[in-house]
Amino acid sequence: MPVIELNGLTKTYGGARGITDLSFTVEEGEIFGFIGPNGAGKSTTIRTMLGLIYPTGGSAKIFGKDCLQHGTEIKKEIGYLPSEVFYYDNMKVKDLLQYSASFYKKDSRKRMRELAERMELDLNKRIDDLSLGNKKKVGIVQGLLHEPRLIILDEPTSGLDPLMQQRFFELLEEENRKGATILFSSHILSEVQRLCSRVAIIKEGRLIALEKMSELKGSTYKKFKLAAKSDVDASAFGIPGVMEWKSEGGEVSFLFKGDINEILRRIAGLELENLWVEEPDLEEIFMHYYESREGAGA
Amino acid sequence: MNMYLYELRMNRKSAFIWMAALAGIAGLFMSMYPTFAEGAEQFKEVLRTMPEEVLQALGLQIDSMATLLGFYSYLFLYVLLCGAIQAIHLGASIVSKETREKTADFLLAKPVTRSKIIGMKALAALTILLITNVVYFGAAALIAETVQRESFSYSAFVLINLSLLFTQLIFLAVGFAAAMLLPRLRTVLPMSLGVVFAFFMLSAVGATTGDSKLRYLTPFQYFDRAYIVQHKEYELEFVVTGVIVIAVCALITVIRYLKRDVHVS
Repeated sequence: MPVIELNGLTKTYGGARGITDLSFTVEEGEIFGFIGPNGAGKSTTIRTMLGLIYPTGGSAKIFGKDCLQHGTEIKKEIGYLPSEVFYYDNMKVKDLLQYSASFYKKDSRKRMRELAERMELDLNKRIDDLSLGNKKKVGIVQGLLHEPRLIILDEPTSGLDPLMQQRFFELLEEENRKGATILFSSHILSEVQRLCSRVAIIKEGRLIALEKMSELKGSTYKKFKLAAKSDVDASAFGIPGVMEWKSEGGEVSFLFKGDINEILRRIAGLELENLWVEEPDLEEIFMHYYESREGAGA
Repeated sequence: MNMYLYELRMNRKSAFIWMAALAGIAGLFMSMYPTFAEGAEQFKEVLRTMPEEVLQALGLQIDSMATLLGFYSYLFLYVLLCGAIQAIHLGASIVSKETREKTADFLLAKPVTRSKIIGMKALAALTILLITNVVYFGAAALIAETVQRESFSYSAFVLINLSLLFTQLIFLAVGFAAAMLLPRLRTVLPMSLGVVFAFFMLSAVGATTGDSKLRYLTPFQYFDRAYIVQHKEYELEFVVTGVIVIAVCALITVIRYLKRDVHVS
């Protein structure tokens, strides 16, 4: 059963930023990456799903129910971590978390202590005394406190140190094993790469790709880097499938998708000092996605 | 219920300060009453030398000044002024809290409807104003008993004091609506003071020129205390006007609160 279903979701703000005709589904039990640069519309999408803003077109369903009509019911099962965490300043962490928990009909005191301990969060501090990273931790505990079936994370890792990020990811993986579906929005692809099974890539409010992580990373792309003894003639590599050609200080790098023998025959013609063949990271594929779509669109 | 209690807790400190301020004004002015009443004739002579317009603008009525209710009616203008500031400030800040402090993403992602949120906020604000009025009335009655020289009409006294509550309700509603119509409102106090003093000046101008149409424009003139002392009742048309103002403001607030996009900016 799909947990999230977006159907032509559109939000316009009189021309400027927004989202256009966004459609995708997130299945139950998935960790779904939602990536794009800042201002692409990720937060707008999430906030529309949560009913903070109203769509100008299309619809969003969560747990098979319309987000506008059944908002309250749906939100019982959602944990949400906003991208910018702001909480009522003149409260203690404990009071805020209890206030948050009071909206759900569950006793969360034990879980609050457990989560706070794991995230090394001091429950007795006042919110306005906390650093950004610690406020983020409050947000994480707040989002996971009521054991939601759907966890929505909007840029969750900013401000967290690597150790905490690690713990946070472990926590998410645990929740996922227990059955929670996770929507993970980010502009940092390496985060998504590690956790997510599928990703949606969004740019300027439009969905530009929806791929399985394995396919996106997949066997089809290879990253070549070579150090040649003499200058490399770029035209010799001007075959379909070669992308991202970069030549710098005697080193040449490019991405290749296609028959591996074809490209190796051409490399064999060179006098090499060194050669690296790697899986490209998502960042590079991502950039390539952007550039090629731009080219196609123009 | 949790939201209601939360709002009460968040606003209790300022509520106590306002209660003390309102009671303080009444206490301060009324403590002068015995002295004033003793030398009333001389005071009246002094006042008669002042231009009529000034007296009207200040809300002074020479003939009744020496009576307790007349004196109280005069000082009550300043109680109303303070009460209005409290009410509009409370109204505007309680509904704009989430957008000003950027906590909307917290509250609106919770499993509650927006109508429940605004309902609970309104209920909390009403509770605070009600408590304020009860406390103020208690204090004012105590003070009046202490300084009285001859008996006064208790029902007129009650009606005058009740007009504080009604005026506050009007300004509360205006505060709600103002916060909704100014979605980028960051600091509530300047707006609150501006609106209240604008109405207050309008009220002074209206009193001077005796323009009866102007009375409809400022809530400070809806409950004429001289009329209350004389007739022991309110003027119906102004009560109706007040109710209409409240209803319109409440409608604007509810519609905007339910329909608007909540931004973090």
